[in-house]
Amino acid sequence: MSDNNGIILKMENITKTFPGVVALDDVSMDLYKGEVLGILGENGAGKSTLIKILAGNYIKDSGSIFVDGKKFEISSPSEAMASGIRVIYQELNTLINLTVTENIFVGEQLVKGPFKIVDWKAMNKRAVEILNELNVDIDPNAIIGNLSVSEKQVVEIAKAISKEAKILVMDEPTAALSEEETQSLFKIINTLKSKGVSIIYISHRLKEIFEITDRVVVLRDGKKVGLRKTTETDASELVNLMVGRDIREMYPKRELVIGKVVMEVKNLTAEGFSGISLTLKKGEILGIFGLLGSGRTSLVKALFGANKIKSGEILVNNKKVEIKSPGIARDEKIGLVPLDRKVEGLALSMGVKENITLANIEGLGNGFLIKKQLENKKAQNWVNEMGIKTPSINQEVNSLSGGNQQKVVIAKWLESGSEIIILNEPTRGIDVGSKIEIYKLMQNLCEKGSSIIMISSELPEILSIADRILVMSKGKLTAQYLRTEATEEKLLQSACI
Amino acid sequence: MPEIKAPSQEQRKKIKLGNTVILFIILVVLFALFSYVGRPFFLSVLNLVPMLNNLSFIGIVAAVLTMVMITGEIDFSIGGNIGLTAVLVAFLLDKGLPGGVVVILALCAGALMGAFNGFIVTMIGVNSMIATIGTMFVWRGIGYTLSNGESMLAMNPVIDYIGRGFLFKVIPFPIVIFIVIFAITYVVMNLSKWGRRIYAVGTNPMASYLSGINVKKIKFINFLFSGITASLGGLILTSLSAVGMPQHGQGLELVVISSIVLGGTALSGGRGEILGTLAGTLILGILYNFLTIMNVYYYYVQIVQGAILVLVVSTYEIRQSRAVKRA
Repeated sequence: MSDNNGIILKMENITKTFPGVVALDDVSMDLYKGEVLGILGENGAGKSTLIKILAGNYIKDSGSIFVDGKKFEISSPSEAMASGIRVIYQELNTLINLTVTENIFVGEQLVKGPFKIVDWKAMNKRAVEILNELNVDIDPNAIIGNLSVSEKQVVEIAKAISKEAKILVMDEPTAALSEEETQSLFKIINTLKSKGVSIIYISHRLKEIFEITDRVVVLRDGKKVGLRKTTETDASELVNLMVGRDIREMYPKRELVIGKVVMEVKNLTAEGFSGISLTLKKGEILGIFGLLGSGRTSLVKALFGANKIKSGEILVNNKKVEIKSPGIARDEKIGLVPLDRKVEGLALSMGVKENITLANIEGLGNGFLIKKQLENKKAQNWVNEMGIKTPSINQEVNSLSGGNQQKVVIAKWLESGSEIIILNEPTRGIDVGSKIEIYKLMQNLCEKGSSIIMISSELPEILSIADRILVMSKGKLTAQYLRTEATEEKLLQSACI
Repeated sequence: MPEIKAPSQEQRKKIKLGNTVILFIILVVLFALFSYVGRPFFLSVLNLVPMLNNLSFIGIVAAVLTMVMITGEIDFSIGGNIGLTAVLVAFLLDKGLPGGVVVILALCAGALMGAFNGFIVTMIGVNSMIATIGTMFVWRGIGYTLSNGESMLAMNPVIDYIGRGFLFKVIPFPIVIFIVIFAITYVVMNLSKWGRRIYAVGTNPMASYLSGINVKKIKFINFLFSGITASLGGLILTSLSAVGMPQHGQGLELVVISSIVLGGTALSGGRGEILGTLAGTLILGILYNFLTIMNVYYYYVQIVQGAILVLVVSTYEIRQSRAVKRA
């Protein structure tokens, strides 16, 4: 069975559904020995689900997986390991207080003697061997916390191949890497390839897909929509496959009614960015695009008083304001829908009601006490108006779907009277249906006179939703486009300066 | 996404309510049992009044510390605070200050101690357990220094009344303070905006901060009040014993925290009930009293108290995980 034309990994008709979403729909693909197979797709296309199934974190509903011709159920991470599949996640799993060697052998230290004493000598020797194999210059005794992101990634790769990996799955490995670091990663990938390791390379960066992969699979809405030899396709074909024809319909169109300037930022500098100037007009959706580490989150946190401003000024409605805390930002009618709603946006174990009124507790009564009926009425109003699907306003937000949780966060700011709403990746981790609802909601808000700053790293989203797009790279503004003149290429180019 | 279902707010309320109700049932059963087994002395005024007096200062400290703990912080310095307050009261009376002034100064000292804790925790960012274990020793150390390690008489009409007076000639004054403090904290935590902020901060400090809540201010003020009520406890204890000694309140922090945890407050913050703390305080209090009047050897008393704490908190965890499974 092991000949099967050099196929090392065969996935047949994999399906995985979550309540309300088909995350993977009958997906099949083959991976050859010594091949780099790219998987391309928008956020929510099913890439992460696929990885998690291969890693044993999710269990597929149906379908089969064969490694080297042998069927594996992969119902647990240890089974994935046993089958020879190693996953390197976007968020690195290194233990930052340990050394490189300790990280490589974590969980499976080499031992010697009858008492199974840890064999440091052998481990150090093996670590050096592995790092040499990868042609990298990293001190095996270095503490992980002192290494750069790319070096940490190399350690993860070393960890994976120390355990005889046949198949290496890399999830957006270059998301936090510079161009130079990306190139050295590609060298490592080529070295691995020449040693017969097969690699699944997941990315949404077209340039890299062309540079490093042999074949590419395109996923969209959980379905495999294309499989191409990298040499026989081009960017526009892949984009069309990735985005699909109906993508523009996902984003509601609207008439631009843009008014006076409501917020002006002059030469603002804080931790993570410097010298940023921008204006936001009434009724406008201002998009900010940038890659990981571009300073976009630092910027919006500074606008919201959660990142200390070093110099520069902010004007709201032509009045200079010192936004020293989120409380002041709220009083200036600025709201922030943060990147990680579960950690930064919601008190998860409290009710929908308590979360909706969280930024406006003061408004729950005239004196010291909360007027319960008033609070119930306010919460019920927002639940109705925004179509938040919840059994009751007392339901714990934790049990709501991602889209409904996000609506609760937005409702919180509307309840506090925000007129400038900053959304950081508003549709992250949200299913397609809810995404559309969030877009419509944003547009409704603008029609009613609110203004929106939206950070997004999803190109089609920002290109369709934002009226104007600013691009950030390495803490600076590098470009500004009107929606009509912006393209994916222009944005990516400006983001990589 | 496949997530473990957490209990809903309503289910959680049921659990919370359930826990508090069960605690009060346990309390009533124990009380009935003790009244019968310990008859006739347990139910006599001669026993109940001193018992409740002793419980009162534990209870008022526990009520406010519950608020601190719901924000996810803790205050171990309350025992040291009581020791220092006791010495300070005796010291100031000895200097000839009038009783009313001494009371005010003692409460101010408590406010200062609380503010200091609050400052260290919120402004400098020291973990509150470490910070307040530190200040616990500092407060008591100052008490020893001020008193030279000796007990000092603390007799004065005003001071006497705090611990041994009777309101309307029938209700012991410490019990009046106890009821008032519990009523206030109950209203604050269950009905007020301030209480809502406390629960929010304890549930998710980051989300609360990013919703415009001044997390540091809330924690600081809670520490401040914890200091003031600890001093109030110190005043009651000094009055009850008529002496100010630096050993007053030694080990009290653990009794108070046990009562609070028994009442269902989570050390991690966000979860807790004033009524639960009330029940927890009363249960541990009558248990201790009963075992003592039954002449149970003190070492055994400790074993029983500790075992009950572990048992009850274990049942909370079991009930919680069962509720999660059912959901």
